[in-house]
Amino acid sequence: MSSLFGTISVALQSLLAQQAATGVVANNVANVNTPGYSREIPVMEESPPVLMGSTLVGTGVTLKTVESVRDNILSLRIQQETSQQSGLESYVNSMNQVQSLFNETQGTGLQTDLSKFFNSFSALATDPTSSSLRQSSLIAGQNLANDFRQTSAQLTTIKQGIDQSVVQTVKQINDLTTQIANLNGQIQQVALTEQNPGPLEDQRDAALQSLAQLVDTAVVYADDGTVTVSTTNGTTLVTGNESNALDTERDTGTGMHEVTANGSNITSSIAGGQLQGLINARDNSIPATQTSLDNLAAALISAVNQQQSTGYDQNGAHGAAFFTPFTPTAAGTNAGAAATMAVALTLPSQLAASSDGTAGDNGNATALANLQNQPIVSGQTAGDYYASMVDDVGNDVSNATAEQQAIGLALKQLSNQQSSISGVSLDEEAANLVLYQRAYEAAARVISVVDELTSVTINMFNAS
Amino acid sequence: MGMRVNPDFYGTVLTGLQQNERQMNQALQQIASGQKLNNISDDPAAAATLVNLRMNADSNNQYLENVTSLTGSLQVADTALNSVVEALTSAQSVGIQGTDITMNAENQQALAQQIKGIQQQVMGLANTAYNGQYLFSGTDTTTQPYVTDSASTAGVSYQGNDKINSVEVSEGQAMPTNLPGTQVFSSQGNDVFQSLQDLYNALESNGDINTAVSEVKNALNYVSTQQTFYGNSLDRLNSVKTFLTQEQTQFTESESSVVSVDMAKAVTDLAQTETTRQALVQAGGKIAQLNLFSYLPSS
Repeated sequence: MSSLFGTISVALQSLLAQQAATGVVANNVANVNTPGYSREIPVMEESPPVLMGSTLVGTGVTLKTVESVRDNILSLRIQQETSQQSGLESYVNSMNQVQSLFNETQGTGLQTDLSKFFNSFSALATDPTSSSLRQSSLIAGQNLANDFRQTSAQLTTIKQGIDQSVVQTVKQINDLTTQIANLNGQIQQVALTEQNPGPLEDQRDAALQSLAQLVDTAVVYADDGTVTVSTTNGTTLVTGNESNALDTERDTGTGMHEVTANGSNITSSIAGGQLQGLINARDNSIPATQTSLDNLAAALISAVNQQQSTGYDQNGAHGAAFFTPFTPTAAGTNAGAAATMAVALTLPSQLAASSDGTAGDNGNATALANLQNQPIVSGQTAGDYYASMVDDVGNDVSNATAEQQAIGLALKQLSNQQSSISGVSLDEEAANLVLYQRAYEAAARVISVVDELTSVTINMFNAS
Repeated sequence: MGMRVNPDFYGTVLTGLQQNERQMNQALQQIASGQKLNNISDDPAAAATLVNLRMNADSNNQYLENVTSLTGSLQVADTALNSVVEALTSAQSVGIQGTDITMNAENQQALAQQIKGIQQQVMGLANTAYNGQYLFSGTDTTTQPYVTDSASTAGVSYQGNDKINSVEVSEGQAMPTNLPGTQVFSSQGNDVFQSLQDLYNALESNGDINTAVSEVKNALNYVSTQQTFYGNSLDRLNSVKTFLTQEQTQFTESESSVVSVDMAKAVTDLAQTETTRQALVQAGGKIAQLNLFSYLPSS
C-alpha cells in the first residue's frame, strides 16, 4: 500500500506530464499554418511500478517523448510525383517561348510571308516585264528569308536562356544537397540523445521536397535517422553528412552546358525535375524544331534556285540563284540553312520569269509560283511541311500540359493524404486540450485531498 | 477512432478557387479576343489546319487579283479587235463604191487614199499596248508587232513571235492570255493587211476590185472569229471570278469555324465559373466559423 507522500509524488508527476502535453498542444496550435510542419503527439507512459510488500503499486505517469507524426513512404511518393510535375512544368514554360514563334492562331508565323512569296510569282505571271512586280517578288523573298533568319536566331536565344537555367538549377541542387547533408548530421546527433528530431526532420523533408522539384531523387531512410539521396539513375547526391556536388561543363561543340558528376557526363540520364524539363527542351525539342526549320529553308532555297536557273532573266541569260545557295557543312544535315537564308539577287531584271528567253514570256514565273504545290521537302509541299511543324510544336506543349494536369491531380490527392496524417487539426487539439486540462485538474484535486488527509493525521494528536 | 481527414479545408478551398480562376481567365480571354485558339497548343491540329486554310485562301486571293488584271488586258484587246472589224467593214464599203462603173480613175484614187488611212488605223490597232505591253506580238510583248515594210507585199511585217502566255486563275487551271498577231490578223488565205493592200492596189491601178473586196470580206470574217476568243475568255474569267469569290467566302467561314469562339458557350462558361466561385467563397467563409475552440469556456 502506497504512502500519502507517495501519492502526492504520483499526482505531481501527473501534473507535470499533463502540463507538458498541454505544451505540445500549444505548439501544434501555434504551427497550424506552418508549411511542412508535422503535428506532434505526447507519448505518455506508466512509471515503473514498485513492490510494496507483496503488492506491485503503480507510480504514476511520465512523458516518455514527443513524437512527430509522419509517413516517410508517402513523402517519397510525393517527391517522385513532384519531380515529374516540375519537370513538365519547366518544359512547358520553355516550349511556350518556342510556340509563340509559330503562333499561327495570332498570325505571327511564317505562313503569311510564305504565301506572299509564292503569290508574288503568280502576280508576276500576269505581267512578266513589269519591274514593280519583279521588285515585289524580290521584297517578298527578302521578307521570307528574314523570317527564317529571325526565327532561327530566336530559337538559339531561347536555347541559350534555358542553358543558363540549367547552370542555375545545378547550383540550387548543390545548395540543397549541402543543406540535407548538414541536417542529416544534426538529426544523427539528436537521435543519439533520444530527443525528438521532428523539427529537424520537418526541415529536411522540406529540403528533400525542394530538391525533388529540381531533379529526380531516390531517397533511402537509414536506421540512424539519416537519409541517402541519389538520382533515380544512381548518381549519389547525399550520404550521411556528406554531399556530392554536381557540376556543369560547357561543351565547345554545342556551346551548351553538360551536367557532370565526379567528371562523368550525366546530362541525358537526368530523369525528372526542373533540370530534366530544361534539358529535354534544350537538347531534344528545340533542336528538332530547328532541324525542321533548316530543312524547310534548304528545300526552298534549292527549289527556287533550281527553277530560277532553268528560266531566263530580262537580259536573256539563265537565271542566277535567287537565294544565296546553301552548302551543308556535313552530309545529311541542313544545319544553318535558316540562320543564313538571304536573297542573292540584287536587281529586279535578274528574275527569270521567262522560260524561253523572250522578254514577255511568263512560263518560268508560273513555274516558280507553282513550286507552292510541289513536294519540295520530305515529300510534302512547303505549306504542308510548315503546318506539320506547327502541329508538332503545339503537340509538344499540349501533351506536356495534359500530363502535367494529370500528375497535378495525383499530387493533390497525395498531399491531401499527407495532410490527413501530419496536418494539425484545431478541433483535435481543442479536444486534447480539454482532456489534459481535466487530467491536470484531477491530479491537482488528488493533491488537495492528500493535503487534507495529511492535515487530519497531523492534527490527530492535537486534542486542543 | 474514425479515419483522420485532411484538417486543412482551406487548402482544398484554395485549390478550388485557383482552378476556378484559371477557367474564368480562359473564358474571359476567349470573350475578349473572340478566338477560341490563342496558342497553337490550345489545339495543334486546328492550328495546322489553319496554316493550310490560309495558304489556300492567300492563293485564292492572288487568283482573284490575276483575274482582275487579266480582265483589263483582255478587254482592251477585245475593244481593239472590235475597232478592227469596224475598220474592215468600212474598207469593204469603200471597196464596193470603187466597183461602181461610174467611177473614174480620179475618184478611185481618192478611195485608195481612204483605204490607206484604214490600213494605218488597223496597224495602229494591231499595235495596241496595255500597261506598256503589246497585246498582239505573242510573248514578245516589248516589241511592236507591226511595222511598215515596203518590201512586203502586205505593206507591213510582223516582228513578234507566235507564242502565247497563260496564267493560272485557279488551282491547276491556266488560261491563255493572248493571241499572237500572226494568228489574229492572218491565216492561210486570209490576211488583214494583205487584203487591205490588195484593195488599195486594185483601186489605185484600177485592178480587180471585186476580188480584192471579197478578200477584205474574208479577212473581216476571220478577225471576227478570232475576236470570239477574247469574248469567250472574258466570259470564262467572269465565271472564274464568281467561283473564286465563293471560295473566298468559304475560306473565311472555315477559318472562322476553326478559330472563332462560340460566344454563347463562352459566356455560359463564364457564368458557370462565377457560380462555382460564389459557392466556394461562401463555403470558405462558413468553415472559418466552425472550430471546437469557439465552444471552450473562456473563463
